[in-house]
Order: sequence, then structure tokens, then C-alpha cells
Amino acid sequence: MSKLNSGQEAPKIGVYVCHCGGNISDHVEIDKVVEQAGGLANVAVARENSFMCSDPGQEMIIEDIEAGKVNRIVVASCAPALHEATFRGAITRAGMNPYLYEHANIREQVSWVHHGPGATDKAAALVAAAVGKAGELEPLEPIRVEAEAHATVIGGGVAGMSAARDLAAQGLNVALVEKSPFLGGQVSQLDKTFPSGEAAGELLSALAAQVLHDDRITVYTCSELAEYSGYVGSFKLKLQRTPPSGQDQERLSRIGDASPGQFLPFVGVWADQPPEASEEVELTSGAVVLATGFEHYTPPQGEYGYGDLAEVITLPELIQIMAGETGGGEQLVVNGKTVNSLALIHCVGSRQIPGIHQPAPGGTLNEHCSRVCCTASLQAACELREKFPETSVFELYRDIRTYGRGQEDYYLNAGRAGVVFARFAPEAPPRIEAGGEDSALTVTVPDQLLAGEELALGVDLVVLAVGMEPRDNQGLVDKMKLPVGADRFLLEVHPKLRPVELPAAGIYLAGTCQAPMDTSEVANAAGAAAAKAGAILSAGQVELDPFVAQIDQAKCVGSGACVEACLSDGAIEMIDTPDGKRAQVNPALCMGCGVCVAVCEQDAIELNGWTLGQYEAMVDAIVAQTAGQGAKA
Amino acid sequence: MDACAQKHPILILATEDCSYPGANSVGQAHQNYPDNTYIIRTPTPALFPEKFYLDCFDKGVGGIIIMSCGVECPYEGAYPALAKRLDRIYVLMKEKGLDIRRLRLTAICTVCNRAFLKEVNQMNEVIAELGAPGSEAKAA
Repeated sequence: MSKLNSGQEAPKIGVYVCHCGGNISDHVEIDKVVEQAGGLANVAVARENSFMCSDPGQEMIIEDIEAGKVNRIVVASCAPALHEATFRGAITRAGMNPYLYEHANIREQVSWVHHGPGATDKAAALVAAAVGKAGELEPLEPIRVEAEAHATVIGGGVAGMSAARDLAAQGLNVALVEKSPFLGGQVSQLDKTFPSGEAAGELLSALAAQVLHDDRITVYTCSELAEYSGYVGSFKLKLQRTPPSGQDQERLSRIGDASPGQFLPFVGVWADQPPEASEEVELTSGAVVLATGFEHYTPPQGEYGYGDLAEVITLPELIQIMAGETGGGEQLVVNGKTVNSLALIHCVGSRQIPGIHQPAPGGTLNEHCSRVCCTASLQAACELREKFPETSVFELYRDIRTYGRGQEDYYLNAGRAGVVFARFAPEAPPRIEAGGEDSALTVTVPDQLLAGEELALGVDLVVLAVGMEPRDNQGLVDKMKLPVGADRFLLEVHPKLRPVELPAAGIYLAGTCQAPMDTSEVANAAGAAAAKAGAILSAGQVELDPFVAQIDQAKCVGSGACVEACLSDGAIEMIDTPDGKRAQVNPALCMGCGVCVAVCEQDAIELNGWTLGQYEAMVDAIVAQTAGQGAKA
Repeated sequence: MDACAQKHPILILATEDCSYPGANSVGQAHQNYPDNTYIIRTPTPALFPEKFYLDCFDKGVGGIIIMSCGVECPYEGAYPALAKRLDRIYVLMKEKGLDIRRLRLTAICTVCNRAFLKEVNQMNEVIAELGAPGSEAKAA
């Protein structure tokens, strides 16, 4: 290891302050910041540039490193999310360890929010804090672990099949694990998909054929995750395969003389013969993609008359009924009864409001928008008007959002086809009563489009556009320690910066286990998850950030407090040493949260890249700088 | 802003996945807030032991706002651990005669601009009222 990378040399810190055009320098006196930085301990050079991220800006850093003038770098510029990687890259190109770098954010957190002398003082203090930390930095090396060229995808719907196909296309072996005997997930409960109108069966048949005919993909139906351990590159999974029972057995009874790979409407794609006896399958996978899907909201008995009135059904139920209708008559017929008119009610089980809507038995509310139900309702309305022109359709909504390419057409077409819209307030939802002058039901609703005038609609059918809610994944959540959001969907690290990743490396999210999405978005998410997983596995070795806990064995007394506090099973374990039990970190399992650091009374644990000593140096610098500024004032 | 509050820095411990981008979002919206605020990135504030907070006050930090991800924390279990630790820190602060309003735990998301500004302004009001850390003990 060269001196530049050893961290043994005394710190010679280079400070580089960016003008960002005028974004920073219009409010921060850069020359003063540079001057003050130049006077700080360990600072060897302090420079400025109009755009540090530009080639000349980066070259300035590289030249100073190559000339041996500096061995730690601080750049004061925009938010680190934008250019931290840029500057680490420049440092690497100069042959220095990229982790001997600290970033001061003086644009988003200074020049864009403060003006006048206070802005310059704060910029100087943040640079001083970064210099303080830089003086404590140690070179770090990415953690490298061997990676199995195999991925496991849990969930056999569109997300799971898409992810499996895309992973296999990258040369990886894939296990596709599905709980039921069928592939297709919730899309198999649809007739047509929007906005293309493509038959769900054709879509699933094509996707399933790609999966089932790919030698790299092994499909395990009737299977659930029984045991889980390991880390990115080498997850150990045990699947439990069980002969189908209950609803699955009933669905299997409908396959008749179908052959494997065949799509059965409202059942799914029959993958293969189910196991005749319980069996276990052990897998070693480099990555895991979760594609466990969603469930439709089931209205409790009495919500809009559901469960009490036979003429109140859900939208998925209507879709199935309509798929069986050939459209030979002028009116829809349901259960032998002619439907002269029907009302579709939006936002059932979505956008629930505390105090207005009744929580589920567990006390939960679905406060989220399910996003797809507006378009799905309008698609159904358009199809109804087209197939059964003598059946009148009312859409009763709170708000309508047909987001996405081609979906607004459903709204426009519904209006043109004579669908009548009425808007209700959440606190005054439609009331459904049995009987009517010439109808099975009467729906009463104050219409906000008519200044709150109450409408009384005689209809023969009420259809509830039920929302999407998270599937009960508690078993997986407990086994894999998965983060769950306040909305009960699985939670990514960051919705924009790391949208398909979990904090534990090597585990990815695909599709509606994460949030409500339509089929196109599910396919996108699955592709993203597969690309992420493929990128780390295809090299045969996984390179992880080095920001993990590290134990100073000399200080450790083996209390085990860190093991108890650790949030990731197996990330810290007690090992026998000649001095007794001591803690040891498995870097591949450590999530880098640092919870263990706080509980060690011996200060024997540090989080690499975020050590307490570094934080203390930052605080000391801020306090010293602000005290100095106070004295000047 | 009160000149007294200005002298005492406010330390903001911001999670790199939620509240640090949230603070940047305030900047992107060009919304002003007092400049005695110093935002420090952290994977999760659950890594700081009790002593860290008490030392900060000893050094002259007027107030600390922990801006966590709250229940949206990507590290399952970290937030409850942090909340428990805060209870212990409050006890220690009281023992040292420090007003516990100087330390506040909040949840700030990546777009929680209003909440961010409210917390920062409220902490400044507290510091303006209390003065230097430890001065409340002397006054008592």
C-alpha cells in the first residue's frame, strides 16, 4: 500500500471551495472562506474554482495529490448526493484512497438559505467541520465477498416473472418461488390491461413461456421461504414445498386437461405438477428479489352495503362477470338479473381518513391512494357502455386521477360514452339502500359538482373500486428483518436515490409489495431490481461500501452488548479468543447503522467512515468557529 | 432572530436517507432559516451514545435536533432504540440542570420542508429563552 493510501502520513488537507457559478459565490464570500480554511490546523492548501465538478476543478485536486501536497481532501460545494462520487472518483484517479475525503455542503445548506455575513460565517464553519473530520479519516477498502451467480425471486406474478427473466438474461441462475400452484399473481384476475387493452392472459402466457422455457430459471410453486440466513453474495435459503390445499386445491380442480404453461382465466398460468408430499429445497443465492405483490381491499360487511346486499360487488368481481359476458344483449346481466344502470364508487379502501373511515380490526387505515383504481373503473365503464349500451353507468368519485400515458383517454372516452359523473366528499359518501322505484338499489349522494345537491340514483348494481393494500408478509418480514413503511408496504432505502434497494445489501424490491403500481410500473420496477441484482452478481464478487462496524479487539471485554443491540442477525458474533469471548463483525451482514457503537461502554466499536471521533472533531470545529465569529461580532 | 440564540449553535443530526436530503430540499426551495444551524449527516442517530449529547452541551452547543427517519427508518429497530436512549439522556440532562427542550427528536422526510423550518425556528426560540447551555442550572 502506498503512503497515499496508508493513512500513516500526517494529515495534509487540501480544501477546495466551489463558486458553483454564482450559486454559492453570490451569497458567500469565497475568498474569506478560503482564507479561513488556509489557517486551520492540518490544512496544506486552500483553493477555489468556479466549478469544482468541472474537469479543471477536478484536475486541481489531482495535481495537488500527485505533487504530494495533500493526502486528505475536502470539497465545499453542493449537496454530497450530487458530487461526492465525482470527487471520490477524481481522488481515485490520482492514486489516493477515495475515502480520505469529506464533503462540505455550502450550497443547499448555506448559500440557498442564508444571505449576508452569516452565510460566509456558516460556510467557513462547515468547512472547518469537514477539515476536522478529514483529519480523523482513515483509508478504507471496499468489502469484497464472493458472489453466487444465482438469484432467488420470491413471488410469481408479473414482477417476479419479469425479474426472473431479466436476471436469467444476464447469465444468472434463478429460483422463482411462488406460494400457489400458479404463476401470474393478481394480473391473472384481470381480463384486459390498460392502457393497451391487451388481454391479461396473453401477457401472462408470453411472460410465463419465457420463464418456463428458460433453462436458467427453476420455478418452485407451492413453496414458501422457511429459513433464511447469510448475506449478499451468499444467502442460504430453505424453501418448504407443500401439496396444495384449500383454495389452491379448488383452483387446481379447474385445470381440466390443460397442460403446464397454459393460462386459465382468473386462475393463472399452471406451472407444473404440484408436489405430492412436503419437501424442502435448499438454495444458495447471491441476491434476493422480493416480488410478493398486493391484496385487494376487502370491504367489511356493511361498507356501502357490501356483504348485506347481493347487488353490491367489487370491481374485481365485476371484471370477472364481464369477461364471461359476450355482449350479445343490450344490457348487462348479473346473476340472471338485468342491470339497467349501475354505479361505480371510487376510493373504497383507499385514501381513508382517520375519524371518517373505520379502521381495520388491527387499527390500520389505508391512507394511501391506490393509484390504479380510477383508470380501472373508467376502463370498466367504457367497456360496459360499449358492450351494453342500454346499461347506464354512474361514476361516483372523490377525485379522479388517470395518470400515465394513454390513460386520460379513458376519462375522456367515458364522458363521450355517456357515463355520468358525480363527486362526493369523504365525509358525505354515497348511501346505499335496498329497493327503488324501478331498481334494486337506491344510491343517495350529495353531488359537489351540483353545489351539494343530493342525487337519488336508482341502480341495479353498485360496484366498489377497491384499493390495493399490502399483502400479509409478516413471516418474511420477521425472517428477513425487512423494513416496513407506515403504510405497511415494504420500504425501500430512498424513494428516489435507491428506489428498489433495502438497507441489507443484496435484497431488492420489485412491484406492488413496495407500493401500489400499475402493470407497466411493476415491469419497470422488476427490471430495475433485476439490473441492480445482476450488476452485483455478474462479477462473481460483490464490492460493498466499507461503512461497517469495526471492533477494536484490544478494547473489547466481551460484554455482548453489541450483539444484543445489533439489528442484523449474525452481523456481530462472539468468538473465542485467548483473552476470552470477544465480539467480531461480519462485514457482509453489517448494515452500517451504528446502533452497536452507542451501547459499547468500552468504546471498542466504531463505524468506519462515521466514527465518534470524527463527529467530535466536527462539533469541536463548529463550536470553535462560531465562538470566534461571536468574538469578532 | 434573537442575537443571543445566534451565539449558540444548533446541531442537527440528520439521517442521510431522509432528513439530510430533506434539509437540501429546503435549500432547493430557497426557504430561509436561522444560520446558527449546523447539519451533520449520519446513517442513523442511533449510533450516538448518551455521552456524545452531554459533551456537545458542555462544549457550548445550544440545542440539538435529531432529525430521524422516524417510523420510516430503513434500519428496522433503530428508531425504537434511539427513542429509548433519548429517555435516558433526558434523565441525565435533568441531573446536570439542562433544560430538556434543548434536545429534540423529530422525524423529517426528504420533502418535509415545513416541518424542518418549524423545528429549527422552535429550537431557536428555546435557545433565545434559555441562553447558554447550563445557564438554566445557574439561574435555578
